[in-house]
Amino acid sequence: MSGYRIMIVEDDFSIQTQLKTLLSGNGYTVQAVTDFSKTVEQIKAFAPHLILLDIKLPGNSGFEICSQIRSFSDMPVVFVTSSNTDMDELNSIMLGGDAFITKPYNTAILLAKIASLLRRAYASGQTEILTWNGAALHLESSFLEYNERKADLTKNELKILYYLFKNAGKICPRGDIVDFLWDNQLYIDDNTLSVHMSRIREKLASIGLTGFIKTKHRQGYTL
Amino acid sequence: MSGIQYLKNQLPVILINLLGMLALALFLIAGGNSVQTVLFIFVIWLFVLASCLLFFYISRKKYLNKLLDMAEQLEERYLLPEIMQPPERADEQVFYQIMKMAEKSMLERIGEVQRERKEYKEYIEQWIHEVKTPITAMKLICENNRCSFTRELMAELENINRFTEQALYYARSEHTEKDYSVREICLGNVIHGAIADNKYLLRQNSVAVTVDNVKYSIYSDDKWLRFILDQIISNAVKYHTDQPVLHFSAVKENDRIVLSVEDNGIGIPESDLPRIFEKGFTGQNGRLVHSSTGIGLYLCRRLCDKLGIGISARSAGKGTAIFLSFHINDFVAGVQG
Repeated sequence: MSGYRIMIVEDDFSIQTQLKTLLSGNGYTVQAVTDFSKTVEQIKAFAPHLILLDIKLPGNSGFEICSQIRSFSDMPVVFVTSSNTDMDELNSIMLGGDAFITKPYNTAILLAKIASLLRRAYASGQTEILTWNGAALHLESSFLEYNERKADLTKNELKILYYLFKNAGKICPRGDIVDFLWDNQLYIDDNTLSVHMSRIREKLASIGLTGFIKTKHRQGYTL
Repeated sequence: MSGIQYLKNQLPVILINLLGMLALALFLIAGGNSVQTVLFIFVIWLFVLASCLLFFYISRKKYLNKLLDMAEQLEERYLLPEIMQPPERADEQVFYQIMKMAEKSMLERIGEVQRERKEYKEYIEQWIHEVKTPITAMKLICENNRCSFTRELMAELENINRFTEQALYYARSEHTEKDYSVREICLGNVIHGAIADNKYLLRQNSVAVTVDNVKYSIYSDDKWLRFILDQIISNAVKYHTDQPVLHFSAVKENDRIVLSVEDNGIGIPESDLPRIFEKGFTGQNGRLVHSSTGIGLYLCRRLCDKLGIGISARSAGKGTAIFLSFHINDFVAGVQG
């Protein structure tokens, strides 16, 4: 998707492994610090675009590592910690941290934060248009284009289509789509999803796009 | 100091005087004095005795009342020996010494208890931070392996997380130190955050969530507020009925922003309503739902009191509405322009 490199500085092994799985599943290249006596050296060697930094670490604390990073780089630093006192949050901001997320974090929020920090730091500036099989989804103006015919989409419909386009070719279980919508503050249930899906299909049919979204019985939808 | 009690205590003195009077009377009458002379002497004697007793009584009462006053004005009464004047009478000096000793042992005990409580609080906080690491790991494992089974686990993890947070805030609310910072926050963001915290729980119970009109900025602590909303949401889920609904909305009323969180659950009986914010109160609903602890709403009220948020509840037979009102005073409006 993006090819951004992310470094994980986290001493809990299972969180480290799971974060790796999560982030590489979202298209990032991930590496974790293994030797905490040479954290900064490993960061320099990997030259990541973004760092996920725990505060409580063996050896140097996250705060110290952050100020060391700031001496040679401006890369976004996300503090990820289980302590949620104001002092820690203040410290992290004072030392140049870009975000402060407390454990146990919502993965959707974590991913959104990472994406927005990366966009801000390494802005590409282009408006996002997703395409699949000749149909183009315009995210900012919220419409779908096919053969120069346009269909306007509501907020819910746009988000559903966005998820399907992002996972184009794969089967998207209904539960995952609802999860994604909830993460985007659209609180709809399974029945409402069916209503939205049939409305989307009607709109697609009106611009001559039929059979674009296929239903996999008992599994979900696929483009 | 009651007068009758004082007189009773002075009984030996009075008796000795009466005895003396009797002996004197016998002696004088035996010496050939008239009864009138004897009676005259008696009157004088009794007068002197009475005025003596009265004088001592009044001066003692004044002194003791002053002490009582001092003790009453004192917030920590056991510190009285520090500010009272050392007494002059021999027996009072002994009592004074005893008071001093009592004060010292009291101070030592208080110091010990305070230290123990502080250590315990620190331990609880540390424990909570530690338990959050495995919770995070479990959440990530579930997110990376999504299926209906992990969704159920996620809902339970949300419960575990809420309970640990409850313990953390309980430990914090007992202390007078400030653990919060008030700043400008967006009410909507906090609400969406709290819903995200309970996403799987709400979805599992198929709660229809609606959020209307919450784009206000308020002055509060987002972590504390999120915790309060978490408790309210979990209550709505705990006491739900068929086809549960949860509705968030806010209105501006003069210098306040009132957030209402309404559900269509089993509601709260009118007789219980005034007591729901009390510690350990579970009421009639507590007998229906066994996981009632009477801690959640109590903590909400405590935290609200500290943050200056007004919290109230309304329930008309069915469904419950919790109102949180955030004060926006003139000063804030003035600074904002």
